[in-house]
Amino acid sequence: MVLSKNSGGHRGMQESMYSVIALVFILVACVELCDAAAAIDVYRLIQYDMSGSAYGSRFAVLNHHAAALHFPPGADLSRAVLIIPLRELNITFVREYINQKKPLGGLLFLLPDIFSFENGGNKQVHEKEKLKNLLAELEQLLIHANIPYPVYFAFENDEIDTVLADIKKNDAIGQPATATTGGYKLVIPTPEPKKVASPTITNIQGWLSGLKVDGDTNQLPTIAIVASYDTFGAAPALSVGSDSNGSGVVALLEIARLFSLLYSNPKTRGRYNLLFGLTSGGPYNYNGTQKWLRSFDQRLRESIDYAICLNSIGSWDNELWIHVSKPPENAYIKQIFEGFSNVAEELHIKVGLKHKKINISNPRVAWEHEQFSRLRVTAATLSEISTAPELLQGTGGLFDSRQFVNETAITRGVKLVAESLARHIYGHQGKNVQIFADGGSLAVNPAYIQSWLDLLSQTPRVAPFLSKNDPFVMALQKELADHTDEVNMQHEVLEGVFTFYDSTSARLNIYQVASVTFDLLLLLVLGSYLIVLFSFLVITTRGLDDLISLFRRPPSRKVKTA
Amino acid sequence: MTMFHFFNCAILTFGPHAVYYSATPLSEYDTLGTSVKAALVYLGTALVKLVCLATFLKVSENDGFDPYQELLKAVIGFIDVAGLYFALTQLTHRNISQNHKFQAVGLGWAFADSVLHRLAPLWVGARGLEFTWDFILQGLEANANLVLSISLAALGSLMWLRKNKPKTLIPIIYTCAGIVATMPSITSYLRRGLGWHFPKVVVFELFTSLSMAFISWQLFSACQRPS
Repeated sequence: MVLSKNSGGHRGMQESMYSVIALVFILVACVELCDAAAAIDVYRLIQYDMSGSAYGSRFAVLNHHAAALHFPPGADLSRAVLIIPLRELNITFVREYINQKKPLGGLLFLLPDIFSFENGGNKQVHEKEKLKNLLAELEQLLIHANIPYPVYFAFENDEIDTVLADIKKNDAIGQPATATTGGYKLVIPTPEPKKVASPTITNIQGWLSGLKVDGDTNQLPTIAIVASYDTFGAAPALSVGSDSNGSGVVALLEIARLFSLLYSNPKTRGRYNLLFGLTSGGPYNYNGTQKWLRSFDQRLRESIDYAICLNSIGSWDNELWIHVSKPPENAYIKQIFEGFSNVAEELHIKVGLKHKKINISNPRVAWEHEQFSRLRVTAATLSEISTAPELLQGTGGLFDSRQFVNETAITRGVKLVAESLARHIYGHQGKNVQIFADGGSLAVNPAYIQSWLDLLSQTPRVAPFLSKNDPFVMALQKELADHTDEVNMQHEVLEGVFTFYDSTSARLNIYQVASVTFDLLLLLVLGSYLIVLFSFLVITTRGLDDLISLFRRPPSRKVKTA
Repeated sequence: MTMFHFFNCAILTFGPHAVYYSATPLSEYDTLGTSVKAALVYLGTALVKLVCLATFLKVSENDGFDPYQELLKAVIGFIDVAGLYFALTQLTHRNISQNHKFQAVGLGWAFADSVLHRLAPLWVGARGLEFTWDFILQGLEANANLVLSISLAALGSLMWLRKNKPKTLIPIIYTCAGIVATMPSITSYLRRGLGWHFPKVVVFELFTSLSMAFISWQLFSACQRPS
């Protein structure tokens, strides 16, 4: 409001009138938004198109009554939102509902606290594994279905627990909530979801140069260590992917740190270049890795001795797998595997080799090393997973939270990779030399791993929703710049098969509403009260005749002339 | 639907005032001017009370019952009585009988009280989606307040306007007036000190207002008989 500075009391009065009117309007407008029984954060199911087919939840706005499981059979749920806590989930029921396309107003899943970062903590929950598997199954069901109503996830807390208990009580009495019987109303006022235009994927690479001896004209060989850092899950605002692939990113950063310490001193600098790659686009057939590799020039690509890709090394006990696409009899593969096995034996880890042939005509890329192999670079993936995951599976969903990742596992994995690499670089294969021994200056730092793992477990990293200048991407770049000589960022567009829609999180308001019949009844009661009051007052102050005369028309007067 | 609820609560809160005005002979004698003047006097009284409260009262951290503070509030509450005295005696009214004067003054007083204390919460709260019983209880409270105001005005007019009262009744009149005047303190003591819930307090208010109205009616008609 710009108040003109003209003098004159009249003007001043007018302006204060306007400001009063404006205040009244503001008061009128903003009164609706702040009086809910409960308001909680909710996270929407992902909405995406793949090769033209629509998947996920296609709507975001919600304005319906709440219902719980065990609704009376035959109840009409097309204008009701089903609230389902994970603990009571019956997956066949949901599958049936979705596959048979039964009409529903919306779905709200309540996740136990252990899956959230703030409250997960160290709670020991019974059947942790069972809940994890159930959630994984639910996620796979939801992301591959086309659901024409809003689906949201929320964490359990006291408010919503009381609301749910109340709804169940009402359902038990036998009256589901509709417009005439009161109950709870769930309102999510959010704009319609729009397509994310030109989603970017950002690859970050760090280059650590090896020691070039004077007179040596050949290009130094390079070893690449790669991990993809983005995730994909049922709720993009919750897809933190602590294990897939947060553990890989953390391990890569720690390895970079250790080797930067070694390479900082020319006396201990190895005769290999080290290339660290944090790639994006992992869930989408490692699209980002492919683009990154294509951007290399020929000489660099040919100088890569081999590449180690890290994928999910955060929750294993004693066994890791090395996945390759070249046959195990290949000399290079043998060398790599032997190097790893020797170190593994000393660390009491069992390492197995798995061979999966790649099929050039099949667009499905299950492991990151396959992108390297397609360009004829020797590569292997180190992972705790033994079988190749399907598309959009194992990419860091809802169940992949901090609770289920073990820092010790990552520490051991880092030691394994670092020692194997160091022995290869410095030519100590087969010798029992501990370069990164515990307690030394080059020991693996568990605090570093833990703090980065905590950060990753709080940052959802679904690529289309990570902008070019996202603070997390900047943080990764800065960290890699600290440990390497040269950092480059490559921005690409995730084009082609996938299209994403925004609106990933919102605020749910729960109102306790009275039904229309209640209001009508109240109006009736008040009307009769006022009428009774009126009659009572007329009778006591003016007399009964007056009351009756109110209702009788004045008799027609026949003027009698006397 | 929520405007519906607002409408319901509004007619519960303000309806009885309009009904009282139209049902009793007040409307016939056109005593609206008196009621309006009484309402303005109430506004002035409320302002004075606010200033006194702001000056003398400490803001307490907990919501408990502090006897000293409550006593102070009760004393400031007597400003109400002074305001009513002013409205009854000092304002020039048209030539209306005493009987109707106190009713008109009490009505205007109660209407101003309802508007000032209950309209804003009603407008802001009752129009939202969320349903609570508070506004209906508030409306009932407004009804009780109407009855109390009219009885206080009756007792006030007995005390200050009527010169020939039977001697025996005078102390009763003064005690009743005292009780009615301290009703706000009593209700706040019940709510804070004893921890009664809102519905219970409203029931208590309704009950006491009806009994006080009955007593003052009896007193008034007793004083009306020529001695």
